Formats: sequence, structure tokens, C-alpha cells
Amino acid sequence: MNDRKQSDKARLQLMIIRIVVYAILIFLTFLCLVFFYMLIINSTRSNAQLQAGFSALPQGHFIDNLKNAWTDASINIPRGMLNSFLVASCCAVLTTYFSALTAYGIHIYDFRLKKPAFLFIMAVMMIPPQVSAVGFIQLMYKLKLTNNFLPLIVPSIAAPIVFFYMKQYMESVLPIEIVESARMDGAGEFRIFNQIVLPIMKPAIAVQMIFSFVQSWNNYFIPALLLDKAEMKTVPIMIAQLRSADYSKFDMGKVYMFILLAILPVLVVYLILSRFIIKGVTAGAVKG
Amino acid sequence: MSKNVKNPKSRGVSNAKWGYLFILPFFIAYICCTLIPQVMTFYNSLFMNYRDGLKQIGPKFVGLQNYVALFSQDNSGSVGILKYFGNTIILWLMGAIPQIVVALLLAVFFTSYRLNIKGQQFFKTVIYMPNLIMASAFSMLFFTLFSPVGPVNQVLIASGWVDKAVDFLNIKISVRVLVSLMNFLMWFGNTTILLMAGIQGIDQTLFEAAQIDGANSTQVFFRVTMPLLRPILVYTVITAMIGGLQMFDVPQILTKGKGTPNRASMTLVMYLNNYLTTSKNYGMAGAVSVVLFIISAALSLIVYNSLSSQYRKPKRHRKY
Amino acid sequence: MKKQLSVILSVITVAAALAACGGGSSAPATTAAPAPETTAAAATEAPATEAPAAETEAAAEESGEGKVFNIYAWNEEFKGFFEKYYQVPDGVTVEWHITPSDNGAYQQKLDEALLNQENADPDEKVDMFLAEADYIVKYADDAATQDITALGVDDFSNTYNYTVQAASDADGVVKGVSFQCCPSALIYRRSIAEDVLGTSEPDEVQELLNSWDKFNAVAKDAKDKGYYMTASFAETYRVFSNNCTSPWVDADNNLQFDPQIEAWIEQTDDFIANEYTLTAGIWDDEKNKQMFADGKTMCFFGPAWYFNFCMGNAQDPEKGCSGDWAICEGPAAHFWGGTWLMAPAGTDNPTMLADIMNTFINDEDVCSKLVENEAQFSNNQAVNKKFAENPDYGSEFLGGQNDVAVFSAMTDNIKWENHTIYDQLLNEGLQNSLQEYYKGVSDKETALKNFYNYVNETYPSIITP
Repeated sequence: MNDRKQSDKARLQLMIIRIVVYAILIFLTFLCLVFFYMLIINSTRSNAQLQAGFSALPQGHFIDNLKNAWTDASINIPRGMLNSFLVASCCAVLTTYFSALTAYGIHIYDFRLKKPAFLFIMAVMMIPPQVSAVGFIQLMYKLKLTNNFLPLIVPSIAAPIVFFYMKQYMESVLPIEIVESARMDGAGEFRIFNQIVLPIMKPAIAVQMIFSFVQSWNNYFIPALLLDKAEMKTVPIMIAQLRSADYSKFDMGKVYMFILLAILPVLVVYLILSRFIIKGVTAGAVKG
Repeated sequence: MSKNVKNPKSRGVSNAKWGYLFILPFFIAYICCTLIPQVMTFYNSLFMNYRDGLKQIGPKFVGLQNYVALFSQDNSGSVGILKYFGNTIILWLMGAIPQIVVALLLAVFFTSYRLNIKGQQFFKTVIYMPNLIMASAFSMLFFTLFSPVGPVNQVLIASGWVDKAVDFLNIKISVRVLVSLMNFLMWFGNTTILLMAGIQGIDQTLFEAAQIDGANSTQVFFRVTMPLLRPILVYTVITAMIGGLQMFDVPQILTKGKGTPNRASMTLVMYLNNYLTTSKNYGMAGAVSVVLFIISAALSLIVYNSLSSQYRKPKRHRKY
Repeated sequence: MKKQLSVILSVITVAAALAACGGGSSAPATTAAPAPETTAAAATEAPATEAPAAETEAAAEESGEGKVFNIYAWNEEFKGFFEKYYQVPDGVTVEWHITPSDNGAYQQKLDEALLNQENADPDEKVDMFLAEADYIVKYADDAATQDITALGVDDFSNTYNYTVQAASDADGVVKGVSFQCCPSALIYRRSIAEDVLGTSEPDEVQELLNSWDKFNAVAKDAKDKGYYMTASFAETYRVFSNNCTSPWVDADNNLQFDPQIEAWIEQTDDFIANEYTLTAGIWDDEKNKQMFADGKTMCFFGPAWYFNFCMGNAQDPEKGCSGDWAICEGPAAHFWGGTWLMAPAGTDNPTMLADIMNTFINDEDVCSKLVENEAQFSNNQAVNKKFAENPDYGSEFLGGQNDVAVFSAMTDNIKWENHTIYDQLLNEGLQNSLQEYYKGVSDKETALKNFYNYVNETYPSIITP
């Protein structure tokens, strides 16, 4: 009797908590979606309608805007998306792989410079990227690497923040015992990393891949200073260019359509990778 | 860092070699792409070095003169860098505290078997979405929404709440709230996913064991989840702080680089940017960078130490 | 002034020709010849583009000019005109380097390229770049650009004087040309003028608004009838600042306020206090909204490009008021904007560069098309005159008024004086800082102090009060 009462109470409590939780989630969902909604609405409106003021209802210019954006003579958006995709994928792969490798090197092995190396990375993590940007641009000019994707891709090998994440993640999920048992089985060090450690790190890698892909996809500052040939431009440069194009072509409907196009691929990549995170419960792998 | 010491077998010459080999690519890339330009920047802070039109002035060694200039009173009678540091901290805290609290709550909600939230994939996708949109586009959207002729004011006037358009972008508190709100929206989903990955990385049997021992969900959260989540939480707090100190795009675009009103929303990096864009004042910019570096290093050390000192115990427990 | 200039120019031309002969011994003997020939052809023959282009090509091959012509620009405007109206010689590829001007990105990009010009590969060298009036001095008065008269661009008989002065360095050496001329007019709503002034005829309106005293008095009348005189506090800024009698900095690099700037501040104080204008900035939506049919603002200021680029709202088929507009000179002559084609030092395509410049200032056919098809006010007086005197030519947007005639009449009064390399950002910075004061956010003193802080950060060499 008492037990049932208590479980009833607990159930009621759980229901109230559930309602509160769902209410919070719905509120946050609204906050997040309202801006996408506005973006989509705006992409259905003509420039004149946009200039005239705000509206909560869509209007019939979506196809016009899409056509204008796709066939724009000076801004080749398919090309830009291809470029951005290339750069962002390379960055995502390099960043996660080498950060995990570095974190593994510091986490598992003991060597004299281990602590200084770790402290060094921790220290440089705080330096704002804006600080090195100008020197970097000058260097790239000297090396004649402008209008080249390498300066956008290669630096992603060294990402202190991603390294730090991987290191922290390894501390919670990668006991040394796994590595040692693999060694006893005669596996080489590189094979241990690629075939045993990387799979365990999958959730962390998926998360960081999304982050670095998005970061690279949206990156404007450095690419804008390094890329200026039409066939090399990435999406953010094109959007900025559209916005600061001369005023006769200042078609806000087209601008919103470009922004919409610019975030769609990122969204798709995100949806694909987010499955890894949910599946990636690694708890069992460490047991024993 | 001392945990491997317990395992003397794992040390040795060949292992050290592998360690160096594994961290080598990172350091090569870092030195070439970041360190050299950075060292150039720091070195520059000791020189008078700027452009006047296309003419290069300097570099001329001036010792610490740039730092003296940085910490002396400007035309308004305040020390610029301290004011902008204050702005940055305020803007950061206003966004980061709700961001981490909400993200922690959501991560617990989503991973809780008891709550068993339906439509998780949908919610997670949605809360992360603001992070996908380019900061510049997002700021532009806010700028339009809250302009004196924007929809927010249209609604306010139509409903009779105000009789004259509110100039949101020229009122100190509303600018700060808007900047924080945008930072919150852009990053809380990201933080949630990070923390979820952290919680999912925790051995599930620990939760089960705690529940069998009769712990309620609050106890599980504070006694099991939190301690085990600390490494990721430290990471979250530190990166949020680094992101906060580097805050630039959002206030820059929202206030058109002016930090309106009366420079109350000008952040440290916006200030740095002021020196970099036109005058290429590498001397002053270098000095601001060094100060920024010292501040962020100090803050990170404090957070890192205070948070990691508490998790020694559970960690040892986990590591047997 | 004109006489002096032409004397200087001819001296330079002769000197350059001599230098070219002297230095040309290693190249084929014909190097110096094609350039003037091209100029002559471009100036006289009507469908000129084809013929000189062929010649240039020959010249390019003989003189071994570069195969890639690199043009730096911040938007697509000139690219459009260039592709329509200029015949690129065979064997030469034009490479456009377009960087948006946001946050000064264009100038940063250009500066790096120019400073690197000497070491760049021939195919990577900047062969031409575009510059705006607001910062042209920075490039014209620097060794990064070269004398175009030496390249064969030496006929300025039809170009407007101020456009030549703007592209000249302190010694009067011309470094570039503008393909447009941008006298800026007072643009008013006919219907509101009718209500406030009792007339909407440009001549009569001009008579009633031809001085600041009259303008300010009319502002009060407009307010009494429920209108705004202008839609932005900064609307009249250029009308004052173009007529400054002293530069922004004195000989010792001290920041100084010209009486014209002081007068603008005073007028704006008055306008804001009496609500003759809005606190909107010059590009703000709040101002643009006033261009719709239901707008309450009588006066705007802008040049020919302003109609198409900035008055989209007025031309909106549903909510606009096309035809309800007219222009007159207003209280003072001034100009706004303009795009100059500049000649960088070290280009490896000097002949083609000169040919492009000549095409856009002296080719009557091309200049006519710029007026007719592109709504430009060309930088060719003869061509503009043709349109100004054509009774059938008129702008529908301006209710049939012949805008070319009005602009032509204004050009003589435009001055290019007292400009510095700092103008653009000092003008912007002052307006930005004072806007906070006009919006009531800070007091005037604080606003000015913020302006001085801005100056210190932007131009370390300027000494602020």
C-alpha cells in the first residue's frame, strides 16, 4: 500500500518533471527556429517587399530568388559550395585525426618533453587567432600561396582546442589497459591507434568533425584575405561580395537565398554525423 | 599527467620515440602556421610600426612604450583596455552562464533513461542549428529585427507598449542583452552536444549501481554525473571563456564595429581590430595581444586548477 | 588652373617620350610609337574599340607585354562596363581580383599586392586597380602609382577638371582617370515641394534653396506642414565637407575642424533639436523608408548613380513614387563618390592599361553608351553636352527632367581641394561618433572624445586635441 502510494507519487513527480522539461525544450526550439523561419520567409520575398518592412507570411518569390541566386553571372554559387566543401572536409578530417593522434601521443607515452609539450599547447590555446592572422597573411604572400587552398587546410592540423577536447575525452574513456593488452597481442603502435583507439574515440571525433567542418565552412576572415580569383572563392566570400555589390544589384531576396543555400549543406552533414554521437556509447568497450 | 608513472612497463626508449612521432605533425603545423606569425606579433609590440596611408612608419624599437600608451588614460579619461576588458567579461558572463547551465540541464535530460525524452533527434538537431548559421548572417538578422523600423518595434508600437520606436542598438543594456542572447543561442546547443558525448562516455553501470544503491536523480547528478563529467566540463568552461575573450563577430556586426553606445559593447578583440585594420599598427596591436594572452592564460589556469583539483578522487576511483 | 595643368602635362609627356626613347634601345624601336597612335584613334574614330584593340594587340606582342591583365576592384560594377564596352586584345587574359570593401578588406588586399608588386611574377602583377574618391589620395600621392601621361593617356580636354585633380599627386602628376563624374544634386519630392514651397519647378525650387540660410528657413516651413527637410542627420555632410577651406590635418599633423564642418555640426544640432531631420545614419533603413510614396521627407542629396543604387524604394512599382522627383543644385556644389581607374607602378601591360583609360574617357561611342544604357554621368564633357542639349532626353524617374543638363551645369563649381589620405575614415568616424550624441545617448563632449579615441587608433600619426 505504502509502496504503491510512493510509486504513484513518484510517477506524478516524473510527469511534472517531464512537462517542465518538454516546456523548456519547446521554448528553446522556438527560439532557435524562429530565426530560420525568418530566413526562409525572407528568401520568399522580393527585394522591394523586404525593403518595405517585415512580414511573418511567405510571399511568392522563392523560385525567382532561387533562380537569381543559382544563375548569378558573377557569383558562381555551385562552384563556391564545391570549394567550401573541399576545404571544410579536409579541415574536419585533418583536425580530428591529428588532434586525436597528438592527444594520444601525450596521453599514453612518457617522454621527457611530454609535460612541456602539453603545457605549451594549453598556453597557446588562449591566443586569439586574430593575433597571428596578419603575420600569417604576410607569410603566405611571401610564399606565394595566395589563391591556394593549402593555407586554409594545413593549419587545421594544429588545433589546440580540439587537441584539448580529445585529451580530456581520452582521460575519461581510454584506460591504458586497452592499449597494453593490444600490445601484448603484438599490434604495432600505429595500428593500435588507427584500429583500436580511433573507434573508441568515435563520438568525440564525430562531435569535433561537425565543429571543425562548420567552422571552416563559415570561415570568412582569412579566406577573404587570401582568395580573390573567382574560381577559388568559398561561400562566405561570395555572400559578403553579394552584400557589398553595387547598390543597383542589391537584391536582399537573393542575399537571403544565398544564406539559405550556404547553411543547407552544413545542415545535411550535421544530420549525417549526429547519428554517430547517439550510437556512440563507448562505456562497454572499457570494461574488464 | 602522473598516472602513467604507475606503469613503468609503458615507459622506455621506443615508446618515447612513438610519443615524439605522434605529436610531431601537430608541432610542425603549429610552428609554421601559427607560432611564427604569433612570435612576430609579440616581437612587434616592442616597436613603433604602423602604416600611414601606403607609407610604412618604423619599425623602430621603442621598448615598452606601446604598453605605457595602452595603460594610460585616453581622451575620455579612462584606460581603454581595462574598459574593454570589463565589457568583454560582462558580455561573456551574460551569455556563458545561461549557456552552460542550460546545456548541462539539457544533456542530463537527453541522457536520462528515466525521463526518456521523445523526439531527441529533433530537439538536438534544432538546438544545434543556430551554430550552423554564419555569425555575420545571424547578426544581420538581429540587426534588421531590432532596428528602429524593424518588426520588433512595429509590434511594440502596434500593441501600444511604447509610443516611440525603441532604439535597441543604442541602449547599453539592450545591446548587451542582444549580444549575450545571440552568443547563448549560437553556443548552447553546441555545449549540450559536447556534454552529452561526455555523459555517454561514462560507464553506464555506474548509474545503474548508484540507482540500485537508492540514489535519487539529484544525487546521481551531483555524485556521479558531475564528477565524471568534469574533464569535459573543464573543457567546456575553458573554451567558452576563450571564445568569450575572443568575442568579435557578433558585437562587431551588430554595432557596425562601433561598440555602441559610447563604446560600452566594444570588446578586447574589437579594440585589437581597430588597430589592425587601417593603420596596421602592429606595435599597439601586438601589445593588446600580449595583454589579451596574459589575461586569458591567467583565467584559464585558475579555472583549470580549481576544477581539476576536485576531480582527482573520482578519477582515481575510475582508474581502479 | 587648367592652363597650368596642361603645361605641366605636356612637359611631362615630352620628358616621358624622351625617356622612353632612351630606355627603349633594348626593345624593338617601335615601343614608344603605338601608344600615342592608340590615343588618337580612340579619341577620333567613332566605333573605336575594334581598330585600336587590334593595334594594341600587335603592340602587346612586339613590346612583349604580359599575357595576364590583373584588375583589382571591390565590386562588379566596372567589370560589367568593361566586359560590354572594351575589346580585350587577343592573347591577353583579364583576371579580376574582387574583394568586398567590408571592414577595409579591399584596401588591405590591394595594399599587400601593391607593396609586393616588385617581387611578384609578371602574370601576378597588378595592372590596374579601382579607387574611390574617399581614399584616392592615399594611392595617387604615392610611388605605388605611375604617371599616365607617360603611358599615352594625355588628352584631358573633355574630362572634368576635378576628376583629374583627384587622381593627381601633390606635384600634379596624373595617376589615373575616372570613368564617371559624380556631381551631387539636391533631389526633392515634387509633391512635397509643391506643398511647402508652392512650386515644384526645378529653377524656382533652386532659387528658394540656393543658400544654407534659405535651406534652414524652408526646413522650418516643412516642419510646420508635417514634413522632414532631410531623412538623415548626415544627409548634408558632404555638401559642407566638399567645400572645406582647410584639410583635416594641418602641416604638423594636428587634427583640425574646418569652419564648414563646424557649420555642419551647428546646422545638425539645430535640425535635430527642431526635428527637421531624423537621427538615422546615411545608409539606415529608417532613412530609406522615407523614399516610399508615404514618406514625409522633402530633400535627399546624391549624384546620378544614387537614383538607381539607393532609391530602390522610390522606384518600387507598388509603394514607390517614381516621377515625383526632381533635382537642382541646392545650397552648395559638391560631388559624391566616383570610381577611378588607377595605374600601378610596375605593370607589365602599360599599353593595354592606357588603351582602357582612353576608351573610358575619350571614346565618344563608349561614353555615350554609358549615359544612355547605364544611367551614368560620363566623364566626357562633349558627350554629356550632346545629351544635355537634346530636348527629347529626359529621366522618367525625375518626371521627364533632363538630369544630364542639371549635372553638366553643376560641374564647374565642384572643387577638389584640401583632401588628405585620412578623409574617408575621419568623415565616417565623426558622423558615427556624433550620431550617438544626436540620438541622445551621450553628450557632445563624450561623442567628440570617442571620435578622438577612434582617430588615435586609426591614424597613429595624427595628433588629437
